[in-house]
Amino acid sequence: MPNVRLEGLHKSYGDIKAADGLDLEVRDGEYLCVLGPTGAGKTTLLRMISGLLRPDKGRIFFDDKDYTRREIEERKAALLSQSYALFPQLTVEENIIFGLDIRGADEKLKEQVLISMLDLVRLSGRSKAFPGELSGGMQQRTALARALASGADLLLLDEPLRALDARLRISLRTELRSLVKSLRMTTIHVTHDQDEALVMADRVAVIREGRILQVGTPKEVWDQPATPFVANFVGQSNFFTGKVIQSSPYTLLRTPEGAVLKGRPSELPAGEEAVLGVKIGNTEISKERAGYLQAAVERVIFEGRNLHVDLMMDNGQRISAKIPSWRKGKVVVGDRTNVYWEESKGTVFPMPPGGLENELKVE
Amino acid sequence: MPEVKLVGIGKRYGSVVAVNSVDLTVHDKEYVTILGPSGCGKTTLIRMIAGIIEPSQGKVLIDGRDMTGVPIEDRDIGYVFQNIALFPHLTVENNVSYGPRAKDRPPEEQVSVSRRFLDMVKLLDKMQMFPGELCGGEQQKASLARALASGSRLLLLDEPLSALDSRVRVDLRYELRRLAKELGLTTIHVTHDQEEAQSVSDRIVLMRAGAVVETGSPEELYTRPKNIFTANFIGETNLLEGWVEEIRDGMSIIELRNGGKVQVNQTDQPLGDAVVISVRPEFVFPTDEGMKARVTHVTYMGTYWRVTATTEDEEDVGFDVATFDSNLLTIGKELYLAVNPKAAVLYPRPENGVEEAIKLE
Repeated sequence: MPNVRLEGLHKSYGDIKAADGLDLEVRDGEYLCVLGPTGAGKTTLLRMISGLLRPDKGRIFFDDKDYTRREIEERKAALLSQSYALFPQLTVEENIIFGLDIRGADEKLKEQVLISMLDLVRLSGRSKAFPGELSGGMQQRTALARALASGADLLLLDEPLRALDARLRISLRTELRSLVKSLRMTTIHVTHDQDEALVMADRVAVIREGRILQVGTPKEVWDQPATPFVANFVGQSNFFTGKVIQSSPYTLLRTPEGAVLKGRPSELPAGEEAVLGVKIGNTEISKERAGYLQAAVERVIFEGRNLHVDLMMDNGQRISAKIPSWRKGKVVVGDRTNVYWEESKGTVFPMPPGGLENELKVE
Repeated sequence: MPEVKLVGIGKRYGSVVAVNSVDLTVHDKEYVTILGPSGCGKTTLIRMIAGIIEPSQGKVLIDGRDMTGVPIEDRDIGYVFQNIALFPHLTVENNVSYGPRAKDRPPEEQVSVSRRFLDMVKLLDKMQMFPGELCGGEQQKASLARALASGSRLLLLDEPLSALDSRVRVDLRYELRRLAKELGLTTIHVTHDQEEAQSVSDRIVLMRAGAVVETGSPEELYTRPKNIFTANFIGETNLLEGWVEEIRDGMSIIELRNGGKVQVNQTDQPLGDAVVISVRPEFVFPTDEGMKARVTHVTYMGTYWRVTATTEDEEDVGFDVATFDSNLLTIGKELYLAVNPKAAVLYPRPENGVEEAIKLE
């Protein structure tokens, strides 16, 4: 239930900055996903909030009270680690009430909590089983029940679905979210999976190299990415470079080949080197309609709901488009096609100081 | 010209059947994925093809040659493991040239072959580094280059992308297919990720509990799955239960348990029988009549909105809306839903119920 605020957190391991001035506010009862690649500092962030790790600098507030130096037990935060860390020699029910046991809770309370937790995670029939006898999904639910049974009101989830099969992961997304929401807990869920974050989160915080790049609703992060990295990490984008012609009421960019591209308004001065990013799902192709650019279809892959189309532009740059599957047969390898997008779907960024390629690196 | 043929191949561990008699032919230059949930036997299967696991029954033929008793190193295959298995003390280049070196190829050839494949996976600039200095995706690319440099035309990929971040995985899967096709390789790729399988395969072999459920192209398995497990495992779908109420004009009219009625262009289920309809969210749409439901959940998916509506029977139905429409996207809104009769698929109701038929673990 608490509101959590992080102010300027720093944490270094030798030369590596796992947290490099982290600011983040998590609202009361909110489901917040922290999304970023491996090594971005996601686990460090959770460990600092839980009290397992002290920041080198910066402060942590729970409900506006400074908890930076408080003990783990005072924080009422439950951390569910990636590996679940269940005790293999204890049964499901012993695992779940472990926290209550060591705190010396009375039998009646333990009984009550146990029954409600088993019911909540649908494991009533398996309470006497050992973790090794359970499927991956059941182990995950046991670990969740144990975290919840500790009486915490802040839930910290470290890649809670990572160890599971892809298909199971998708089914458990909604289930996990509604379970936590029904308990009105404040949840911070870290993940490297952008689909997971978009589907589960009230708000998404994109993290990279120990810094938060953007915080917003899934729609804000998707439609109005703050940096080229965010544009490409959340949903894959095509990028085009050029010089700014104007930036209002919409931005115009001239490519080195002389094409003029349109995007949302920006604050870039005319003449500045810039990058325009468009999601591959918002990149439209058509033979009939005029486009900003021309390209040849190199490959068409059927992916169920969508076709994934790889295109070679006349300047030799490769781009992709995701289009609905009913267009199969109408988009054929070798076709020459025009490429366009709605102006609201193009975001224009200043050219990143380290170059575009460096900016887009996902590892 | 590698063609792989599996004849009644199976593996037992005591009383546990890991793989239960699989027949499969993978054609020359074909890209086949073996897809299925954890414990379905897919890893055992590819390891029997590689010669890492000895089958309890049946045999593996590569180019018509019986591989029984032939060790992995004599099967002429390139194998990429899930957990990257590079030699940590060798540079990336020396890892990649390992195959040609082990085969005593001339030194110039060792260099040219390894450079060629390092170039293909875009690692030329990092070839003097050691594996520990590369990130996960680069390490897996190096493993792939090493497998390709062995000169084998048969590539076996055992969950090659599982250890990587999802964003890296997406980039690499397109790269994998491109390489395999450019080089004309026969590829067998094991994965639990149905999206990955759809993106890379010519053909998908879907497994469950040691047996093949269904085999087909990604398009066949998505649009006309023969099995209800397939319909649910590959892509997202709504499974709605009902009865065949009427059959006419090449259509079945289904009365759903949730009270609604829908039409399906399929007539092979007998009148009065209990059936299940599988219909993907992009083929369900709001209309004036049909299933009555109330909007319970709305998610922005970037290029569309995914709406979940709950019927009076407490069944959830998912459907997609292309642009924002507050009329449809308001929680609590009541509406009627219809399905595209051409895109819905009808199955007899499974004997032990739908839940059991689609269970993932």
